[in-house]
Amino acid sequence: MQLKPRVRRPAGPDMRRRLMAASCALLGASSARSQAVAGSGPAPNTWSIDTALAYYHEDGRIQAIEPVVNVLKDFGDGETVGLNLTFDALSGSSPNGALPSRSVQTFASPSGKNLTDPSKLYTTAPGQLPVDPHYHDQRLAGALNWQLPLTRVTQATLGGKMSYEHDFFSVSGNVSIAEDFNEKNTTLSLGVNDEYDTLHPIGGTPVAGSDYTLFEKTAGKTKNGAGVLLGVTQVMSRRWLSEFNLSADRFTGYLNDPYKIISIIDAAGNTTGYEYERRPDERTRKSAYLENRVGWDRASAGLSLRYMTDDWQIHSETAQLHLRWWIDSQDKYFEPSLRWYRQTAADFYSPWISAANQNSTAYASSDSRLGAFHALTFGLKYGEKLADQGNSAGGEFSARIEYYQQVTDGHFDAPGSLQGLDLVPGLKAILLQIGWRF
Amino acid sequence: MAPPDSNAPQEAIRIEARGEDLLAVVFTAMASPCELLLPAIDERAAAALGAVVAEEAWRVEKKFSRYRDDSVVAWIHRNRGTEIEVDPETASLLDFAKQCHQLSDGLFDITSGVLRRAWKFDAASSIPAQETIERLLPLIGFDKLAWQAPHLLLPLGMELDFGGIGKEYAVDRAYDLLNARFQAPFLINFGGDLRANRAPPRGAWQVGIERPGTLRDAAMILTLEHGALATSGDAHRFLLHDGIRYGHVLDPHTGWPVAGAPRSVTVAASSCTEAGLLSTLALLQGGDAAEFLEQQGVRYWIVE
Amino acid sequence: MKANRMIWILLLPAAVLASGCSSIGVKPWQHDLLAREDMRLTNDSLDTAIDDHLYFSKEASSGGRSFAGGGCGCN
Repeated sequence: MQLKPRVRRPAGPDMRRRLMAASCALLGASSARSQAVAGSGPAPNTWSIDTALAYYHEDGRIQAIEPVVNVLKDFGDGETVGLNLTFDALSGSSPNGALPSRSVQTFASPSGKNLTDPSKLYTTAPGQLPVDPHYHDQRLAGALNWQLPLTRVTQATLGGKMSYEHDFFSVSGNVSIAEDFNEKNTTLSLGVNDEYDTLHPIGGTPVAGSDYTLFEKTAGKTKNGAGVLLGVTQVMSRRWLSEFNLSADRFTGYLNDPYKIISIIDAAGNTTGYEYERRPDERTRKSAYLENRVGWDRASAGLSLRYMTDDWQIHSETAQLHLRWWIDSQDKYFEPSLRWYRQTAADFYSPWISAANQNSTAYASSDSRLGAFHALTFGLKYGEKLADQGNSAGGEFSARIEYYQQVTDGHFDAPGSLQGLDLVPGLKAILLQIGWRF
Repeated sequence: MAPPDSNAPQEAIRIEARGEDLLAVVFTAMASPCELLLPAIDERAAAALGAVVAEEAWRVEKKFSRYRDDSVVAWIHRNRGTEIEVDPETASLLDFAKQCHQLSDGLFDITSGVLRRAWKFDAASSIPAQETIERLLPLIGFDKLAWQAPHLLLPLGMELDFGGIGKEYAVDRAYDLLNARFQAPFLINFGGDLRANRAPPRGAWQVGIERPGTLRDAAMILTLEHGALATSGDAHRFLLHDGIRYGHVLDPHTGWPVAGAPRSVTVAASSCTEAGLLSTLALLQGGDAAEFLEQQGVRYWIVE
Repeated sequence: MKANRMIWILLLPAAVLASGCSSIGVKPWQHDLLAREDMRLTNDSLDTAIDDHLYFSKEASSGGRSFAGGGCGCN
């Protein structure tokens, strides 16, 4: 008797899914969750895609929308390649650096060439903080990252980034190497990065320190930065991981904000004029960073501290705490977070220049980002694991909200009529974000 | 599950070292060499964990073996023709067998054990006559049972045989018991059906799959980080007649082995039960085994 | 004065890390909890990238955990 050939019945496309469901029912869902990782050689390739959409809104100022997508390919033997694409669109009102005044103020938008063409002017009412109400900007950025294991204990990382806006272009690259010791309990890493930026401000680059009303503009500018980072990561216990980094970077070139001006104020509190800001053409920063993470069965916590100092005399302290709480059998979590930040002012920071001390060659900037302030962020994130899609590893949906508030430190003795005005108001902003990971 | 070898001490477990950072707790169950591989921990702790695995293997064997008078299967057979109520574990296995019967278009059938009466895969046998097989075919077919959990009616003349999934099921049960109490990497291996929870200290578990019939008799080495592997094949149980090889995995529709079946199929899946079922179904596709497994999107290794 | 004290507080754990490294740690198979996704110190999380960009454009500090330099015209 001959062996009979099998009557060909094409296997149904959902046969495996039904088999997995049947196995789950027999063994219990938790048993059959994770996929097998087996191979004759390296494990199968896996892809993961991480996307997010963030909306940012400052009270009375800027709003921004930012979609981001991150694609990661894991070759299974420790080698990974990642691609990140970010787009952001900003619009709204942006402070131009001038001080509030008791009289109406008139400014030209960056593309304006004089204070007479009405189509390019904007005005600020008395007592209000001068803002450019037509601020808008779009940015498209991409980053590529390649991690490559060199030996069982050494790993190299190569990365490159590019960012494009209509008035700013940046390209940077980084290389780092990491080595494990003590059965992977200790990891030492060293990295360097380099950045090259070119600026083409709208309307041209203003001559630093020059009179605003003269509209003296020149050609585009560049700046260059290089940085180094030294880090050690240490497993302290089964539940506790610690990381300590020391880093330094130095930027040279055009470091001004081309759209920011400073008000010149006389003893009576009147605004007698404006000049473009002027910052040094060199900035060196050093920082120390410590992060700790502790894990329990259904929760984890992280605390990080950073101290930064630079040669503009700014130093800052940052502390960040987050707690993750898993609920509902490890499928959903909440993550509240808190951040505290404080910085001192740059030595050339001043909300205004007094007319008596005007000196067009001195460094001066009224950009509030260089001033003394402290800031608090309150955040809450919710995450939920998505059902396993059969062959994929299962994804996650998340949503988060953050409230950020900056409060100016220090007191300014406002001259004359400016007394009673809030000259350096802080900032209040909210961030909303949703994201999916597959 | 093959008949127990009455000479081997069933209830003994032994600990041996495997290389410099692994321990193996070794015992015999379901007529197969079984082992639990662990990172090098305290021997008493290893023995305690090994006992958990071994006792679960022996429990499943005692309960579902068709060779034991005190098993659930023997009790079901003694009550043919009457409606009985089975316990929850047997009920879930019967439900699983029913679902697999349906999704495989009847290829997976736990009532096909009666074909053993026609096919005896030992050196002295010859292939059975067609009439012998045709007398047995009416006694095969899961849909001929009256099964609605927990009530079962097994018609007279029919048999139930959990041998096709018993070992893989035992691996998964032992895995769950161990996973609940042990966080470190481990691998449970019952005679080639195995499952690991995570990768061991040195990167991956090395699993050898026999390549029967090759002159070098070399094993194929697979690397497993986590998940299950199950192998179906007829390396040791087959008939050779007139130069044609008759494997021991029989098609329940025809009563015959399928033509062109590979010698052995190994499948990787998230559970051993799932891997075992896929490898058995692949064998039953005969020459289309590779195409079948490609369609299922699983990792597999075939030895022809 | 305050700055110096801050540096000491941050450097103390670093001294611990540097000196006793070989005696602190766990066996390789005890890395189970640390491999969990919320315990990793990886910095390719989208949240961190979005937050870092926000703080880079509103504050004078950046980096620390990874390279500073925002690569955008927002500061």
